[in-house]
Amino acid sequence: MKSAAKREPLVQAWLRSSRMIAACSVIVGIGIWQLAYEALARTHYFKDYAIYHFLASPLQVIQTFGDLYRSGELFRHSYFSLLEFVYGFLLAVVIGIPVGFIMATQKKINYYLDPWVSCIYATPTVALAPIIMVWFGLGIFPNSLVVFLGAVFPILLNTYTGIKSVRRNLIEVVRAFGGSPMQVFFKVMIPDAAPAIITGLRLAVGRAVISVVVAELFGAEAGLGYMVYFYSQRFLPGPVFVGIVVLVIFGILTFTLLEKAQGWLSPWYAHQVKRQTHRMEME
Amino acid sequence: METRTSKLVVENLCKSFRTQRSEESIQVFEGISFEVHPSEFISLVGPSGCGKTTFLRILDGLIPHDDGEILLDGKAVIKPGPDKGFVFQESSLLPWRTVLDNVILGLELQGVDNRKARKKAERYIALVGLAGFERHYPHELSGGMQQRVNLARALIVDPQVLLMDEPFASLDAQTREIMQAELLKMWNQTKKTVIFVTHQIEEAIYLSDRVVVFSARPAKIREIVKVDISRPRSLNVKRNKEFLDLADHVWSIIQEEVLKSMGREREEGIL
Repeated sequence: MKSAAKREPLVQAWLRSSRMIAACSVIVGIGIWQLAYEALARTHYFKDYAIYHFLASPLQVIQTFGDLYRSGELFRHSYFSLLEFVYGFLLAVVIGIPVGFIMATQKKINYYLDPWVSCIYATPTVALAPIIMVWFGLGIFPNSLVVFLGAVFPILLNTYTGIKSVRRNLIEVVRAFGGSPMQVFFKVMIPDAAPAIITGLRLAVGRAVISVVVAELFGAEAGLGYMVYFYSQRFLPGPVFVGIVVLVIFGILTFTLLEKAQGWLSPWYAHQVKRQTHRMEME
Repeated sequence: METRTSKLVVENLCKSFRTQRSEESIQVFEGISFEVHPSEFISLVGPSGCGKTTFLRILDGLIPHDDGEILLDGKAVIKPGPDKGFVFQESSLLPWRTVLDNVILGLELQGVDNRKARKKAERYIALVGLAGFERHYPHELSGGMQQRVNLARALIVDPQVLLMDEPFASLDAQTREIMQAELLKMWNQTKKTVIFVTHQIEEAIYLSDRVVVFSARPAKIREIVKVDISRPRSLNVKRNKEFLDLADHVWSIIQEEVLKSMGREREEGIL
């Protein structure tokens, strides 16, 4: 601890904080983008072509965002993508966690399921998306299925490892004090596996967002991926970037939310991680 | 002495394990018999790998035995329960629970009212000298403090017998000595019957009324050494001639057993 007399002024401390640096970095990056756009637009290369068919500046992206928002188009596409994400992700949770748990605890069942899980996990979902469209047509349901396939494996495999690595000595403690199998499950296995399961959920969010876009690229009537594809085919980069930005923001928000959830659900774990990172920063 | 009923009777206990690879089974114990009086402090020592910890787990009912009988207060032990308190080796506290929540575990599993359990826990936390640390998590405590919590967790269920599995093995020498003295103090207050497994001969003699010396595997009782040193014992007792002679005696038995088992392993081509 520094003494009060030597403490930095608040403004200076804030300027040096990691958040402030991160914000500056992003703002400078966007500034470079804007300047590069202006510079490119003045080169002789773009004399004969209109640059706005290839690139949009940050200012144009903001303007297009406003246009799409007002027309209701952005809301419609976001709504479809969000539904696909929610359905697919929830299905992945509802299937992934129990199956992962069963595979970790029932050896015999694991022998049957393991090769299938390994095979389907190794299959790129991108390759499955077109045939799912062929089977089920266009719409929210087939797209949710693609999202499910993308998200289920990180959840399943992390639940599996989480349950597998539950410390046996802790199970024995609860048994030694007369705990029933149910009590062992709720008082040791779930809490000890929780950090791993939530890590699986966090990985799954990223893959689910990718899957939403991939599914909509192959076939959709609406959605952010569809919007990106539609406008890039028409050489209108403005809406394309708007779609990408919305997807990025959504991904970051969900990821952060789960990071917080990890802290609420297992405070001891978050505490340990925080202490470790703090120690690393000190070194 | 003879008119008093025994707290714990172990009668001709046998146990063998089947190895995973081969069909042959390994005999761990052969006909272990002894009796423990109420409020007696008994230590089990023996060459490493002789199955002391397995024996303690069988006493608790965590592992089934093949043959023989264990009677606690005249009733056969078949499964774990609150009549036995188990103090584990290091890092057996649930890391996501605070000290208080760790201590109430045994009561919680029995379905005791939470408010009542917490009240009781506060008393036991104070007994082991950790008042003020109720809201700390295990990783915030030192090894010695963690083992105090471990002890409180076992005592709170008010067990008939306290089974302790090398509870001080991972502590540094100084903390270990302090914990030994404190354990005796608490034992004096609670008057529990204690079975204490350790590989430290000194520790066994300092704490116990009698020291049970196991042979190498398959384990039999080589000797039960009576410790006739008056209580309360201060840590200085460890430098008495009487104490050192006892330690020498126990050590010589164990040394013999270790050499024997090494000789056998050489014959079998393990070493």
